[in-house]
Amino acid sequence: MMKTRRKLLCAVTAFLAALPVVPKLQAQVTDWKQIVIPKLPPFNPQEPRRVELPNGMVIFLQEDHELPFIRGTARIRGGSREEPADKVGLVQIYGQVWRLGGTKDRTGDQLDDYLEARAARVETGGGLDATVISWDCLKERFDEVFPIFLDLLRDPEFRADKLPIAKRQLDTGISRRNDDPEGIAAREAAKLGYGPTSPYGRVPEYATVDAVTREDLLNWHHAHVHPNNIILGVSGDFDSKAMEAKLRAAFASWPKGPAAEPAKVSFQEPKPGVYFVAKEDVNQSNIHMVDLGIRRDNPDYYAVTVLNQIFGGSFSSRLVTNVRSKKGLAYEVGGGIGAAFDHPGLFRISMGTKSGTTAQAIDALYEEIDGLKKNPPTEEELKKAKDSILNSFVFQFDSKQKVLAERMSYEFYGYPADFLERYRAGIEKVSLADVERVAEKYIHKNQLAVLVVGKAADFDRPLSSFGPVTALDITIPPPAGAKAATAAAGPNAEGKALAAKVFEAMGGQSKIGAIKSVRRKVSATLSTPQGEMSIAGEEVTVYPDRTWQKMATPGGEMVIVVTPQAAFMAGPQGARDFPASMKDEVNKDLLRDPLAVAQHFDDPKYAFSAGSTEKIGDADARILDVNAGGAEVRWFVDPQSGRILRASWQGISMNGPGETVADYSEWKSVDGVTMPFKETRSQNGAKAMSIEVTNVELNPTIDPKIFERPAAPSAAGPGQ
Amino acid sequence: MKIAGMKWALAGFVFAALVAPARAQDLASFEKRITVKVLDNGLTVLVCERHEAPVFSFFTYVNVGADREVPGITGLAHMFEHMAFKGTETIGTTDYPAEKAALAKVEEAYGAYDRERRREVGRDEKKVAELEKAWKDAIDRANKYVKPHEFDTIVEENGGVGMNAFTTNEETGYFYAFPSNRLELWAYLESDRFLHPVLREFYKERDVVYEERRMRVDSEPNGRMFEQFAAAAFIAHPYGKPVVGWPSDLQHFSATDAKAFFDKYYVAPNLTVAVVGDVKTSDVLAVCEKYFGRLPKRPKPDALVTVEPSQNSEREVILHEAAQPLYIEGYHKPSASDTKNEPVFDALQDLMSNGRTSRLYRSLVRDKKIAAFAGGFNDFPGGKYPDLFVFFAVPTPGHTPEELRDAIHAEVKRLQSEDITDEELNTMKTRVKADLLRTLGDNGGLASNLATNQALLGDWRELFVEVDRIGKVSKDDIRRVANEYFVQSNRTEGMIETVPEAGSKGGK
Repeated sequence: MMKTRRKLLCAVTAFLAALPVVPKLQAQVTDWKQIVIPKLPPFNPQEPRRVELPNGMVIFLQEDHELPFIRGTARIRGGSREEPADKVGLVQIYGQVWRLGGTKDRTGDQLDDYLEARAARVETGGGLDATVISWDCLKERFDEVFPIFLDLLRDPEFRADKLPIAKRQLDTGISRRNDDPEGIAAREAAKLGYGPTSPYGRVPEYATVDAVTREDLLNWHHAHVHPNNIILGVSGDFDSKAMEAKLRAAFASWPKGPAAEPAKVSFQEPKPGVYFVAKEDVNQSNIHMVDLGIRRDNPDYYAVTVLNQIFGGSFSSRLVTNVRSKKGLAYEVGGGIGAAFDHPGLFRISMGTKSGTTAQAIDALYEEIDGLKKNPPTEEELKKAKDSILNSFVFQFDSKQKVLAERMSYEFYGYPADFLERYRAGIEKVSLADVERVAEKYIHKNQLAVLVVGKAADFDRPLSSFGPVTALDITIPPPAGAKAATAAAGPNAEGKALAAKVFEAMGGQSKIGAIKSVRRKVSATLSTPQGEMSIAGEEVTVYPDRTWQKMATPGGEMVIVVTPQAAFMAGPQGARDFPASMKDEVNKDLLRDPLAVAQHFDDPKYAFSAGSTEKIGDADARILDVNAGGAEVRWFVDPQSGRILRASWQGISMNGPGETVADYSEWKSVDGVTMPFKETRSQNGAKAMSIEVTNVELNPTIDPKIFERPAAPSAAGPGQ
Repeated sequence: MKIAGMKWALAGFVFAALVAPARAQDLASFEKRITVKVLDNGLTVLVCERHEAPVFSFFTYVNVGADREVPGITGLAHMFEHMAFKGTETIGTTDYPAEKAALAKVEEAYGAYDRERRREVGRDEKKVAELEKAWKDAIDRANKYVKPHEFDTIVEENGGVGMNAFTTNEETGYFYAFPSNRLELWAYLESDRFLHPVLREFYKERDVVYEERRMRVDSEPNGRMFEQFAAAAFIAHPYGKPVVGWPSDLQHFSATDAKAFFDKYYVAPNLTVAVVGDVKTSDVLAVCEKYFGRLPKRPKPDALVTVEPSQNSEREVILHEAAQPLYIEGYHKPSASDTKNEPVFDALQDLMSNGRTSRLYRSLVRDKKIAAFAGGFNDFPGGKYPDLFVFFAVPTPGHTPEELRDAIHAEVKRLQSEDITDEELNTMKTRVKADLLRTLGDNGGLASNLATNQALLGDWRELFVEVDRIGKVSKDDIRRVANEYFVQSNRTEGMIETVPEAGSKGGK
């Protein structure tokens, strides 16, 4: 290490000798205000060259010889805001499978090998208003890489085997979207601001992802990818003339197609009020306040930009100074009136504060909004804000790539090519009166949708102190799964035959028909936040509609009873009624019980529908969708043995609404009736519990009193 | 003012490849443009001319992070980073002498309050309340002299952009960009905050930092897991402590503690300042001599003593959370300055993680479809000291961390028992070279990379030299390292197991 440093210092000394004399500095400075700021040298950023082909394609060429790369990005009109509501996610999936699915000649995997060996990239993606395809390669690889870009642009294959990979990526995002409280707040606030079904607020769901087909991707491609919908920007180490010739040769023969139709979206102000999302595993609340913002072509855009800088858009803004630094209420706080190119942005204030200062934080934000009127911005604030914007203006075009990207945006949205210059002039003209006027015009405290994501029990004051609270349910709608398939397939003779086989394997209709009641003793292991918990339990079912369950929990013995007359849970601290939804759920469980289904084999309210085959372990299980008098369940039946290997159904579980999957094993015969003695359950993909049956008794003696409600009622019973 | 050492984790979440400090293109061309000068007080200045536009970026690398904290003051390095934006004796105050006296009273009052409230036996609650009030009153008196956010305001109104800072387990970095005519102003501002720092509004800022902890760790399941994972992997070395600090310490340490930490570690020999952009080297050196030369000559602190003992047993951390599952595992390895092994680990990171030809993508994402993201990353959580190589994967719905673990172990086994192919080796080397090139066209990135290599590895050329070393990595090297380090007794596993939300009611 020392050796290299000595060598280095020699080099430095030699280098310094060649430099001009060090300019004179001012004498010792004790205050920053004494430092003289020289004039910034004139700077005329290099503008890209614009070429418009007869077929409508617009090309920008930006030479940049600093590094030996050539890069290109084609922006194609049409994006997720134009996708159908029942296929939200289509454009994202398209953006992935476009590249993953390869071209006619080469699979995506082959493209990966070819490109990676050359340290090159060709990538595709889907956005809100456009899709994008780009390349990035060393200049000596251009002639190898550009043909792949072209091929993928013109002739992609969207191979079906890559569709599941893209869908799993989206599903993963959906499944995780409620883990991050900031993410929840940002998403739900956008929905409040634009409306839940607005293309600017909606998000993909399992069902809308599932609905996307390869056909959809091909159709999207054919509808949008035409030269007249494309703006191509190329930058890097090339000669513009030669590059133009190559691009003309590549694109000239491509005929025009139909122009992309922009989405017609209507906008209305959000419904004002207080909205709440409950999140238990946090100690910080995320607060967002939203309203509609403006478009950039609004003449008020410049005044709004200055206002934002003063209000919440910089470290020295009012929100940061007062809410963060003076009050210490937040690490992240900020906001302003959003402006987008071709649709209204969102006015948004956001902050995170500890649960115990949630109401105090809302007060503080309101105070800042009121403050815009009570203490209108001063000349000093105006100057500071304008100086910040104008002095940092050079960073809007401090690289050739940035200049190119800006120009492409103006072209895409139909803005004048000199928009940036107009922006500077516009900012310079903003007066204090302008700032006050736009604050008055666009910021309305009583029109805001105020969203809080957090743990209400720890709040300093209930949110209702700010007005009526609307609770938002962010439960993720489960995958369509069993339900959709049942509806689609409908009952069939094959289904009935398969069901007959199942019941035969259980012991036959006569034996099953003789069962009036069952007592099972079980040992269950539950997965809980505190780890695994084992509990012993006992369960009595009297067909068709009574159940009694007792379990020994760490908090004492719990009993659950559901009969046509009552549904309650009783523990050491008394009994309390089940809500109707829970009662309904237990009743459905009773209906789904294979023994109960078997007893209704010929009931017209029961339907059986056989479907496709799926691997469960080593068996090729046949899917059997059962509608048991209104309760739906999907069985996965081993066609050899007739045993139900797995059952899945939708409903409310410990994990909230969603899908429950139960796997059965260890069959034993009890008085000639075969049943599984082991069951493992997962809910929404997470391990939930395993149950081992230790003893089964058919038609046991039952004390009818067990279905009665214990005498001493209690106001607040414990949970489990 | 932000971002404590979780940048690696965040990068993981956006599913972007984590790249170790990038290394470079044509060394010769940079030799001509780069000058390094060590000032008399020991501070290192590095200048790289890049005349693309009339702007420059800088990066100040301070050779201390959470690594020098001891129990009771964890989080203090990060706390000081926040304070470095609070101004100086001339910035942020209306009357410094009066403010100084008032701040001394705050410290006195806080000391009395803190001692009383932390008494475990015989604490007098009434006295605690009185002392707390006295402390808060003292704060109110000191706040009268504060010009809030003056430091930020000066930077912003002079056109500064991207102003921020971060603290990791081993370094603190400060950075922003200015128009090129603000060079002298920059040198004044940047040196003054390390020459005359004033720890004003300390206790309010401590609340802000606690909010940062709530955001990144407490209310973020992945943050909770990473904190526990690091704590399990490092039982002795400070890499195991959270950069943001433990809750108890965040509610205890004082401005006096922060000043003592600053005096010991923010010494000139621990500072490396890199300036990149449209500047003249001679001008930069002149203003740095003038302003950074003001910092007193103080000795560089002794090196950290504690070395993580070798791991002799597998460790496992499982969080049962109402959040989606996640898997991470780490293996201890030598530091980034180990020129024998580091290039091999860098190569492994690329082979396992970079792009759709990487082994973990092909196996876990493409073929098995059990992961939405999977990668292997070098130098966690640092590089200055012996650290970890980690594998990290995010399962797709319905798949468990255990499945990911088994699939990763199968890939590790493959590395140990079979040579990688010639294609893989060549692709990796080509890609590493090009990826370095791609980082060279950006003032801010260059400033941070050059400063970091200069400070951490002793020479900015390491940026380029490491790529040459990776170019010499052989198939045998890969197998050797995989067999030597990726072994069970050297492993820590961390996972989130998904369970129902606490407090939700049970059905049947």
